[in-house]
Amino acid sequence: MTLIHVPRPPQSALNPDRPINALLKAQIEHFHEAEKGLQHQTGICVSAIKTEKEAANYIRAVTEAILKPHAGAIAQRRRRGIEIAAVADEQVERRRATRRRSKKMSTAKTAGRRKN
Amino acid sequence: MSAGLNNLRHIVVLMMENRSFDHMLGSLRAVNPQIDGINDQLSNPDATGAIVKPQPLADYQGQLDTDPDTHFAAVDLQIFGGNTDPNRLANMQGFVKSYFNQNGDLRHSQQIMYYFKSHDLPVLATLALEFAVFNRWFASIPGPTSCNHAFAHYGTSFGRVDMNPRYFNQSVKSIFERLTTANPRHTAKLYYYDTMSSAVDIAILVRNQPELFGTHEEFLEDCRTSNLPDYSFVAPNYCDHDGKRGWEVANDQHPDHNVQAGEIFIASVYNAIKNSPLWLNTALLIVYDEHGGFYDHVVPPACVPDQFTASPTDTGTRMPFAFDRLGVRVPAILISPWIPKGTVVNRVFDHASIPATVSKLFLADYAPVSPRETSADVFIEPSVPHDPSRNLLSLDVMRTDCPDFDV
Repeated sequence: MTLIHVPRPPQSALNPDRPINALLKAQIEHFHEAEKGLQHQTGICVSAIKTEKEAANYIRAVTEAILKPHAGAIAQRRRRGIEIAAVADEQVERRRATRRRSKKMSTAKTAGRRKN
Repeated sequence: MSAGLNNLRHIVVLMMENRSFDHMLGSLRAVNPQIDGINDQLSNPDATGAIVKPQPLADYQGQLDTDPDTHFAAVDLQIFGGNTDPNRLANMQGFVKSYFNQNGDLRHSQQIMYYFKSHDLPVLATLALEFAVFNRWFASIPGPTSCNHAFAHYGTSFGRVDMNPRYFNQSVKSIFERLTTANPRHTAKLYYYDTMSSAVDIAILVRNQPELFGTHEEFLEDCRTSNLPDYSFVAPNYCDHDGKRGWEVANDQHPDHNVQAGEIFIASVYNAIKNSPLWLNTALLIVYDEHGGFYDHVVPPACVPDQFTASPTDTGTRMPFAFDRLGVRVPAILISPWIPKGTVVNRVFDHASIPATVSKLFLADYAPVSPRETSADVFIEPSVPHDPSRNLLSLDVMRTDCPDFDV
């Protein structure tokens, strides 16, 4: 199995003040369209959004407004996720413990054989 | 049935942004001549008619400030070189001209011909060489992101060639809805990065929260806990922002976002699946939505028309479009421990192949679908399990030599 090194981007890669590209512009329009149908309005003026940071803040505001009516279902899903994760961790721990036990036993057996 | 198909339970699609095949994987021809990449014969004329050759000088960031145009009219110029005759033939000679139209800078316009050396992209190049790389995977439309995403979800863009598709109340259901309303019920999720980069596909987001949606953090958790749905669509981060864990760099590889950040993201998705108990049950498709205005040398083929026609006003070319030609070629790689190392696929695919394959695998003969989806080839073929040219998961013994990435 080969482990391949993946270089990290330089710090200069981050530029939240970068002007938004065509994709983000379109996304903002789509989100603005979606916002019109929501109960909660963000009050953000979309024509004033010029940078990626501003776009991200607007997208978050609308996404949270979309998510708000579903908060209960999301929390339930998260709880279910945590429970599944806990069960998975438990299973991993159990498997590890079994492996440790069987290793101990086989070491003891080998040691026993050596003594004989 | 082959062992690979027998074990297959999950399909994961990771869709990256706006890079062509030659730009990202063209240099791999030198490593494996079966890969249809860059050769010495290729060129484009610049705005003065001078010849510009592809060069391995692509940089991770900073070269493409003016995001290359991928609207329908610009891509038409890129593919047909500016010929508007009704009997014209595609020649892939208009990429430099198109970029020049945007910035008026002769020297700068040549950078659209730049491509990455294979060692510049350790993740994408390794995965292409280790698993199955597609020589003929094309964007579904010679146009921008949104309509191409629509083909990945619905197998059609409902007649749109622009960035504003409206998906509501359509007769053709998305692959997510098909799966989750089937009897017996299947599971599907669209994992967006986080709430600050939530989804290109906002229409689906509004209609189906929270049933179909998860964040990237949840994707990683679902891999770890063996809780992946039958079908997952993973979206990258589309913008630099201050997230829960501090500043997040955009990793979608859309110009002019950093390509290395995208490499790390791709590796993190691959590692999450590979290190999960579901590795033997999962096939991961990495594909780009469209070519991003970058040069590619393969002429997009004609295809079965969709049931729609975009008007000359919509295309911006004074010509209608019957959705009867594919867009520019994009990188696509299928990953599974059941795929032989170094597989190169020469059949023609486009994004309609995604719902076509997922529907065929999980729902057998699902209807109704678009004419384009009906005619799209599938990248996993359950009906011919012993034909390695059709069933890419053809190994009977699972590979144990698959690479790992240190991310």
